[in-house]
Amino acid sequence: MADTVTTAGVGAAEPRSPRRARPMSTSMLPRRSKLSVLVFLVPPLLLYGVAVLLPILQSLFLSVFRWDGITDMVFVGFDNYVKMLTRDDVFWTAFGNALGYLAICLVLQLGGALIVASLLTALPRARELVKTVYLLPAIISTVAIAILFQRIYSLEPVGLLNQILAWVGLENLQNAWLSDVNTVLAAVSIPEGWRFTGLYMLIIYAALIAVPKELEEAARLDGASWWQVFWRIRFPYIRPVWITTTIMATTFALRGFDIPYLLTNGGPGQASELLTTYMYKTAFVHTDYGYASAISVFIVVECLVAVGIIFLLLRRRDDS
Amino acid sequence: MTAPVLTPAVSPAQSEPPQPPRSARPAGRRIRSLSPRLRVQRTILTVTIVLIVIVQVYPLVWLFLTSFRTASDFAGGNAFALPSEWTLDNYARAFATGNLWLNIVNSLIVTLGASVLIVVAGMMAAYALEVLGFRFSGLVKALFLLGIIVPVQIALVPLFIDYSQIGLLDTHMSMIIPLAAFALPMSIYLFSSFYEYIPREMYEAASIDGAGPYRIFGQITFPLSANTIITVVLVNSIFIWNDFIFANTFVLSDGLKTIPLGLQNYIGAMGNTDWTATFAAVCVTVTPLLLVFLVLNKAMINGLESGATKG
Amino acid sequence: MFTTKRRRAFLAAAATAAAAALVLTGCAGGASSADPTDVDPEGEIVPREISWLLSRPADGGVITAMEQIADEYAEEHPGFALNLVTTPDRPSYIQKYETLAAANKLPELFDTDATPFAQKLAGQGRMVDVDLLLDDLGLADEYREAALNYQRFDDGSLYMVPFEFQLEFFWYNKALLADAGVEVPATLDDFPAMCEALRAKGITPIALDGQDQWPLERYMAYYPFRMAGPEYVQQLKNGDASFADPAGKAAAEWLYELGQAGCFQEGFSSTGYADAQALFTSGKAAVYNIGTWELSNLATDALDPAVRDDVDYFTLPTIDGAVTNDNEYVTPSGIGMAVNAQTYDPLVRDFLAFALERYPEVYAATGALSPTTNVETTIPDNATELYTRAVEQANDVGPKIAMPWDTQLDPATNTRLQQELTLLVQGDITPDEFIETMDAALAENVNG
Repeated sequence: MADTVTTAGVGAAEPRSPRRARPMSTSMLPRRSKLSVLVFLVPPLLLYGVAVLLPILQSLFLSVFRWDGITDMVFVGFDNYVKMLTRDDVFWTAFGNALGYLAICLVLQLGGALIVASLLTALPRARELVKTVYLLPAIISTVAIAILFQRIYSLEPVGLLNQILAWVGLENLQNAWLSDVNTVLAAVSIPEGWRFTGLYMLIIYAALIAVPKELEEAARLDGASWWQVFWRIRFPYIRPVWITTTIMATTFALRGFDIPYLLTNGGPGQASELLTTYMYKTAFVHTDYGYASAISVFIVVECLVAVGIIFLLLRRRDDS
Repeated sequence: MTAPVLTPAVSPAQSEPPQPPRSARPAGRRIRSLSPRLRVQRTILTVTIVLIVIVQVYPLVWLFLTSFRTASDFAGGNAFALPSEWTLDNYARAFATGNLWLNIVNSLIVTLGASVLIVVAGMMAAYALEVLGFRFSGLVKALFLLGIIVPVQIALVPLFIDYSQIGLLDTHMSMIIPLAAFALPMSIYLFSSFYEYIPREMYEAASIDGAGPYRIFGQITFPLSANTIITVVLVNSIFIWNDFIFANTFVLSDGLKTIPLGLQNYIGAMGNTDWTATFAAVCVTVTPLLLVFLVLNKAMINGLESGATKG
Repeated sequence: MFTTKRRRAFLAAAATAAAAALVLTGCAGGASSADPTDVDPEGEIVPREISWLLSRPADGGVITAMEQIADEYAEEHPGFALNLVTTPDRPSYIQKYETLAAANKLPELFDTDATPFAQKLAGQGRMVDVDLLLDDLGLADEYREAALNYQRFDDGSLYMVPFEFQLEFFWYNKALLADAGVEVPATLDDFPAMCEALRAKGITPIALDGQDQWPLERYMAYYPFRMAGPEYVQQLKNGDASFADPAGKAAAEWLYELGQAGCFQEGFSSTGYADAQALFTSGKAAVYNIGTWELSNLATDALDPAVRDDVDYFTLPTIDGAVTNDNEYVTPSGIGMAVNAQTYDPLVRDFLAFALERYPEVYAATGALSPTTNVETTIPDNATELYTRAVEQANDVGPKIAMPWDTQLDPATNTRLQQELTLLVQGDITPDEFIETMDAALAENVNG
């Protein structure tokens, strides 16, 4: 095992950029043993395999059974999937809600982050302070955030939001935000959006300040408006970071769970039920592990598709 | 299948010149004298930012103030007013009801344990994938990156069953393993994207000096990773410190409850809740992370910024 | 993309993992060697630590009493300890207990209601037969019949020991009702009119904790209980009755009317327990439906002096042609304690013999109603007259119990019911839509 493998790249003496060399050579090192690859690769792969890959396979397996955890498993073939796709209206409601939740989170996290980050780059002082303060909500436990927002949305006793409405003279807009089927989805999405805006803002801010100032100055001298500068110079420059943050925010939102679960438990009715909360309930409240596994398989597929779509959309624009 | 598609996410960055060092940020904007129009713009900007910051932070201020209110003040009170009477009773009740110190210690153990695993495993995997390389490294990397989009909920039922078979249920490890494993893909992604930027020439020079893969890892790759390590640890710490779902599923005894579970303790029978004591408990449990955060704030923001722009 | 070789390797790996899963999951469906009817096993009493997984308030009467009793027992039996692991939040608790059961990791003692899930556990011989146990300990006759009946499964078998006895009342504010010129409702059909009169005066008619779901589900149980008796829900859960039956339909329509009459505070579905109670105790709401576990807040000087003298209670009103008596209503004996048959041994038996004998006296001294009839509840010094009246009311309870539906229905139907009830009362759906949805859910879950 200790034999030394020399890669094709070594023979060629001229220095190459690692990137261009990549398709030809697999290693950056001139000499490395197979053993060393295993030494570095196996422990992480083991951890990942045991806690992520194996459960996925187990879920696939469980999803063709009906099992309550205590009596014998019954093989039902694809009935769980058939039930999910054809007979279960809650599933489709939850799916729709998950998309709504995703949309609101993305607008708040990415849109909000982009706006604040842009403003921040123009702020003359106290940027560090703003950044720090802005990140604060991210460090607070979702349990605490749920408790907090329950009080903020409350109508009886009058919570923070309804007090603000009264204060600015909009008493007639006061509402029990978490009880109204029309507002509850937004109400449970906002805390999730709120807590991570700071994180994405920081990432985007860092990308924005890396945009060479000379480019912007030159464009301004050519008479470009603020918007043109932003759209033509800044945004293309930060697009790679934008794709990364979009994928992060999307996948986090699609597996969002804690806040809806703790704040409304999916209610009223199924108005704030997400696929994740529904799957959790199916498994741990209804003890229907087979059906829950089918739903979680669907969630994995949904995430894969979403990432694929993001990619197609953002890539195509990049190519044009 | 879709996962390999992820890799090109970084490719647009690849065609770009390396980022200029941060210190090269053009200074002197402040020195120029401002026209009246610019000054108005600046004021509007500042006011907007202040407003946004207030929206962002007021809920937290309110949380803090409420932890000093009496229960009746809270029930009938005005959210904007200072407490009509300051009290520490809430804190006394918070400590009497729950086991806050124990919760904090448990959260520390889990967070530290998982962070170490995430960093070590993440660096090792990224090193194997990016630096050492092997035939199917693209496939393995795709397999890892798949994990970024796998929702954690899928692991709950299978892990619970597996743990109960090997007696790992209700231990710190039962939380640490999945927390680390699910954070691993992002960690590998960040380390890999960073390792791509370490010039091949550095490795070649070391190789000529006779260094093998282990020494190169220890002497070149690891020391260079410091910034990324900070980013990975701090970002993940936030998630791990606040993890609710794994703790809620795998922890059974009081002695192992982490902070989020500890806070659940304040919900009494049939849903009755002592709100002011709960708020006090929230304030106490936020403190350790807040302190770390304030101390390491600079490092974290720098790490995030450099990690992100490289990623 | 895959080469044949690699694909084969992948499939092999998948198959191995699946087989591993089968082995792991297959084991969990527990075969038990224990005999649930052997309530007096032979052998020596070896003190050790035993655990009780429970869902009761951390500083509440049951836990305080049991801690004291465990300490007393440990003095005689060095090495003994009772480890009480409580999860007061009921949904979290149920999740924990059901997953533990699936993993075959239940401790010596655990709490459960008489749910379909618990019945499955009992059917597998994983719980000790409590009828036999109480007989063997000579305690069976000490318990209130209603307290034991509450714990029984539909087939009459008993696998849980009650630790409480509660009566659920409609607490009301005399002054507010007088203000609106209405009387205490004589029948359930008087509720809408009462609500409208109160609303007209700007008073919240009924304070409801909608967030925790079970309080609203109680209202669903009332009409059928009076109209068709406790059997209705039993038939419903077996699929022998439907929501479209007269009792179910009447209940749906009654709840819809309550909603339309504005009976509950706006935003009730996101109002928590403490807030709902505060509405009543601060004199904003006129009626509040809660059990005697709140006596210490509602019938002592802990209650706000401004409303203290105005508070009274009435029991579940009847309907015209009711099949159950006025003295029959919701009288739960709380979540019960099951004894794990697989870990049952002479020590567990000996401790239970000691604890169950001692418990009523210790518990009643805290001012709570014991599930047994052999002790008198100590009325606290700061109690109002209502306290005594409520405690005495416990001796005048009829044999039929209005069972909370959340312990009766299968969990999937129950979840759906709780969700649809909120929508029904909020006026988001009509009674007919409600019935249709619920019957479909019932059909899917009972037969599915």
